[in-house]
Amino acid sequence: MNALTYSTALASGRVQLANVRQRSLLTAQVRLLAVMLLFALAAVACVLRIVQLGVVEPAPRASSLYEAMLPSRGEIVDRNGLALARAFPAYALWYNPAALGGGSPLVRSPAEIAHILASIFPDADEADLLRRLIAGKPGYLARRVLPEQANRIHALGEPALEFPREPDRYYPQGSLAAHVLGFVAADGHGRVGMEEVFDQQLTDPSQRARPQMLSLDMRVQGALEDELSKGMLETDAIGAAGVVLDVDSGEILALASLPSFNPNRPDQAVNRLVFNKVTNQVYELGSTFKPITVASAIDAGTITNLAKRYSASPIQIDGFTIKDSHNMGASLNAPEALIHSSNIVTARIADELGADRLKATMIALGMNERPYLELPGRGFPLFPRDERWARITNMTVSYGHGIAVTPLHLASAYATLVNGGIWRPATLQKVAPGLAVRGRRVFKASTSARMRQLLRMIAVYGTGRKANAAGFRVGGKTGSAEKPGENGGAYKKNAVVATFAAAFPMDRPRYVVIAMLDEPKGTAAASGQRTAAWNAAPVVGRVVPRIGPLLGIVPDDSRDIDLTDLAPLIPHGGGE
Amino acid sequence: MIASRTSLRRIGWAALLAVCSAALFALSLRVNALKSEVRRSENRIVALRQETMYLETEYETRSNQQLLSAWNAVDFGYVAPNAGQYLENVRQLAALGKPAGPGAPSPIRVATAQIEVPGVIPAMVSPLTGKPLGDDNDEPEAASADHDKAAAGLDDRLGKVERDPPTKSPAAEKANKPASKAAKP
Repeated sequence: MNALTYSTALASGRVQLANVRQRSLLTAQVRLLAVMLLFALAAVACVLRIVQLGVVEPAPRASSLYEAMLPSRGEIVDRNGLALARAFPAYALWYNPAALGGGSPLVRSPAEIAHILASIFPDADEADLLRRLIAGKPGYLARRVLPEQANRIHALGEPALEFPREPDRYYPQGSLAAHVLGFVAADGHGRVGMEEVFDQQLTDPSQRARPQMLSLDMRVQGALEDELSKGMLETDAIGAAGVVLDVDSGEILALASLPSFNPNRPDQAVNRLVFNKVTNQVYELGSTFKPITVASAIDAGTITNLAKRYSASPIQIDGFTIKDSHNMGASLNAPEALIHSSNIVTARIADELGADRLKATMIALGMNERPYLELPGRGFPLFPRDERWARITNMTVSYGHGIAVTPLHLASAYATLVNGGIWRPATLQKVAPGLAVRGRRVFKASTSARMRQLLRMIAVYGTGRKANAAGFRVGGKTGSAEKPGENGGAYKKNAVVATFAAAFPMDRPRYVVIAMLDEPKGTAAASGQRTAAWNAAPVVGRVVPRIGPLLGIVPDDSRDIDLTDLAPLIPHGGGE
Repeated sequence: MIASRTSLRRIGWAALLAVCSAALFALSLRVNALKSEVRRSENRIVALRQETMYLETEYETRSNQQLLSAWNAVDFGYVAPNAGQYLENVRQLAALGKPAGPGAPSPIRVATAQIEVPGVIPAMVSPLTGKPLGDDNDEPEAASADHDKAAAGLDDRLGKVERDPPTKSPAAEKANKPASKAAKP
């Protein structure tokens, strides 16, 4: 019994010992596991932190700097990188009557504050300011406040006058190229010009850091607008338009429509001013079409001999009479017809050419569709709608009547005439060298070479002499078309559209320049004349010497296109 | 003994842990300091960019094409260069220096004042007085040295590399002395 007890006790003691050992082993294992787990957790945490540092962390920090640098709306720059439109956080003057927390919103009397504000903002209306201060409603008192003005307001010590900085659109060049740029309306979206075209890119955060580059050259634009406005004032015209176009790439270096508007003041941009005369308004551009007709005839082979003479007696057709402005002699050859700008002879050349071929040329030059350009407002030409043009239509179109196109159509057509015969769409975006659109061939290269000579002759001997800037080898054609009356009425005798379409330098044409004056008067500055030779041509004659050297064209008196084979065809020289 | 070794080890581990965590703490402090420095520099970059943008915009506004042409019309009257102002190549440039042909109009000569001291070429001439500029000692020498005496000292001067006033030559020195006295008052 005792032994049994002992043995059981011994046995139970052993068992207990074994149990203790097992238990402590288990505890140790559990603890070890816990410690290992802890370490593993720490390691995982470290790895996670490393991953976070490496992948997640830098992104928001970098983007915060990126965002801070990002303009609220992308910049628009010219071809040389000069800023034309940029987001500019300007001060505004905000009236917050609740700033003092009840009682009178202003420390001084409203009348006193209104008087001081009127002295800070000379263009403000003191009575209006006083009314708004007394009314006690929060609102803008002024926008686009200069830093100096903000400082002076700050010195007043009025807590109710706050000047928050708000993103604003600023155009450092003022009204220059306003029609190309457009403006930003109160809703933050662009209107009219490239602001509207590029609206998506300019507002998209991923794209707006990169400025949008235009093909414009601001120096050229400045010279063109300056000379056009001088010409407009000198001749008392109601409007003016001008384009400078690169003949090889279709890039527009300057585009002006006057009177213009200031995009910094969108509230004053009324429709009359915003309307773009270069791309939106269609005109019968008159005699500037004659070189196109002659080129078409040379290209088609109906003029094989430039010495061939055509009768200059008026043409009676379908009850109309095609006449010239003055008597130019009994007969003229094609160069003389261009130099003296004869409607009759051009009509005869077109008659010989045939309506179908002239129409095909006009269509190839894009005269039957809206001009090719990025701008939203593009006018639809008035193109004779008949399937087959009547004889009279053919004849009038040949000298630029009965067809109305925009000045931009004309610029593209002249670029085609002189660049070797390739028509290209115009563009307002800078084209990298060698990446110009291929375009389509309208004239043979030989025709184009002949047209360069003929256009140069007009500037040397004919109506374009006032555009013949010394050393720049300018060639071009005048056009003075009477404007039709309202609702397609008869032509108005005293209202003309005077155009000069030119290209230079003619020995290797690089740029087309179009200057157009709307309803110029016969002022003393234009020697009492209303025709393009006296008003539009001198504008081109002044623009070319200003822009030529900027565009890398060196004036050279010792160089010119060879006219020796054509000079004998005009025995009497010019004598217009 | 065993217990003490174990506790020693434990203390050792604890000390190591303490050192490591102290180092980690110091490191994280450094990291945070650097981070805030980076953030400060970023803010500064943004502020400077803004400043640059304001100044650039102001400059562009003040130099806008319309303003420039208005100023030019009123104040300066600059015109675009004409063909005569360009030289196309070196031949045209060389043609400017070729001798006049028979019957050609004689070239315009520019009048020049006689240089007083042919021996000493002054480094700089005053645009107002036409006198050589230099320190006080040089000027009277240059003004007084006469042609023959300067020529007498020429050998001496040409023999040296550095420019040396003609004081070495006894003849020149003699000539200089009364002159410098006369010039002092």
